Amino acid sequence: MKKVLLAAAAAALSLLIISCGSKKNELHVYNWADYMNPAVIEKFEKEYNCKVVMNYFDSNEALYAKLKAGASGYDILFPTSYMSKLMFEQKMIQPIDHSKLKNLKNIDTKFIQKGLDPEMKYSVPYMMTFTGIAYNTKKVKNFRASWSMFDRADLAGRMTLLNDLREVIGAALKFNGYEYNSIDDKELETAMNTVIKWKKNIAKFDVDEAKRGLSSGEFFLIQVYNGDALQLISENPDLAFATPAEGTTLSQDDFVIPVTAKNTDLAYKFIDFMLNPENSKTNMEFVYYLSPNIPAQKLMSEEFLTDPAINPPKAVLDKSDFLKDLGENNSKYSVTWDKIKSSN
Amino acid sequence: MKRSRFPFYMTIAILVFFYLPIVIVFTQSFNASRFGGTWKGFTFDWYFKLFSDKNIWHAFSNTLIIAFSSTAVSVVLGTLSAFALYKYKTKLQITHNILVYLPLVMPDILMGISLLLFFVSLKLELGLFTILLAHITFSISYVAMVVLGRFQDFDYSIFEAALDLGATWWTAVKKIMIPYLMPGIAAGGLLAFTLSLDDFVITFFVSGPDSTTLPLYIYSMMRHGSPSVINALSVIMVLFTFVVVFISKKLLEVKE
Repeated sequence: MKKVLLAAAAAALSLLIISCGSKKNELHVYNWADYMNPAVIEKFEKEYNCKVVMNYFDSNEALYAKLKAGASGYDILFPTSYMSKLMFEQKMIQPIDHSKLKNLKNIDTKFIQKGLDPEMKYSVPYMMTFTGIAYNTKKVKNFRASWSMFDRADLAGRMTLLNDLREVIGAALKFNGYEYNSIDDKELETAMNTVIKWKKNIAKFDVDEAKRGLSSGEFFLIQVYNGDALQLISENPDLAFATPAEGTTLSQDDFVIPVTAKNTDLAYKFIDFMLNPENSKTNMEFVYYLSPNIPAQKLMSEEFLTDPAINPPKAVLDKSDFLKDLGENNSKYSVTWDKIKSSN
Repeated sequence: MKRSRFPFYMTIAILVFFYLPIVIVFTQSFNASRFGGTWKGFTFDWYFKLFSDKNIWHAFSNTLIIAFSSTAVSVVLGTLSAFALYKYKTKLQITHNILVYLPLVMPDILMGISLLLFFVSLKLELGLFTILLAHITFSISYVAMVVLGRFQDFDYSIFEAALDLGATWWTAVKKIMIPYLMPGIAAGGLLAFTLSLDDFVITFFVSGPDSTTLPLYIYSMMRHGSPSVINALSVIMVLFTFVVVFISKKLLEVKE
């Protein structure tokens, strides 16, 4: 009994000592797992003689909830751009000091014009992502890169759409020649009717089951994020990915610095280091996403740059858009979505 | 009267429901397919990947440090608390009972957020220590409840007899009470250990820089990592838990 007590006390004490240890020259990065090449991080540690401590979160919402409640100690975060915007509006992240980032000139300004932070006031883009269609080339005859695929009665029951109101209604808006982020009631109604028509052909609105289903052959065609599509294709050569010619949704994950950061200088050095073309290239090869970094893209192989699941054709890119927060008009979408879900 | 076969089928159904997912995870961890949709052949690749990932090992060691130390502390505090609940029946103990019961029924997310707010207002630096405190907090209740169950059958007159025959209070506790409670303490400890090992929600909120535990890492891998590595990891954790349970059972048998 005494021994157990002693052991417990010793364990608690040692933890106290560990957690109060020295924190000099450490950079605390809060990121998604497997989202940065460990080799680049090691290179950074050597070059700046510091220690990078990685921490991981599993969703933008969880990250937000945690920091909002007051958790601190992180120097760099990697939220998706819609979350960066929200965090900046709530004064949770710092404005970016452009003079501290020599490599900021590498960023593709044309691409970020479409984004939520076109002047990089508070965020620096890390990787871009987008939505599209993944399909089984053996099963889908006469494939056309278009949202009209969801009209195809011969594929009925073998297709899925994402379970996300903005993505699905947005795709229908684009299909009808309107814009994502539309708040026009008439346009939304047209889009709603389109989705209700599509709903008869699809098996369900889903993300994870859809991926497994496409992989196993249960589904032939799914609306999916490019990163997921890449993982699926890498293992099943029958699958392919395309971005609809009408245009699709774009998104990006950012580097941002929270206001509570303790080591801001090192955070800037880290971001600048990752914007270096050589390092950006190493990261792109690891995560298989395109970084909007022009000199780095020039270093990438032809094969990488022409992969439709990594880099959409320029014509499609021009027609595509970021999903923007619509404020009080968001409810128009949820009302439309409810009607779609309850229709037969 | 003919005996109903219903309980038999029910038992089978429940066992299948419990163990089939584990069997599937086990087989999928050897599946060469990344998503486990179809069988693509036998492979040890995921295990090699797992063993060469130093992030996973770091997270794993954090998890073990927390699990062992929170179990040790909560076993002691939980047993003491059960003793107090058993021995004294005052108004204060009714409150005590409710307070011990509360973490069992409180949603994890509420506990996670409130602990985080608490630590932040105390200006405690988030890290392994705060995770440890949080895990002890919920583990105490489980240990106390299990040990209290064991106390219900404890005949206090044996303890008093020992005292009458000249044993000191401490000797009586050591020779009579603790051996009698041991199965309860061990079961409570195991429960605390496994709860600590796989807690995600509370840990997520109270963790700080450099205190990633295995469940946090696994959840984060969902977006970019490979599910198959997660399967391999789960298999190792299930085996690890089995070994711990097996060893503790053996230890108990020797004692009795």
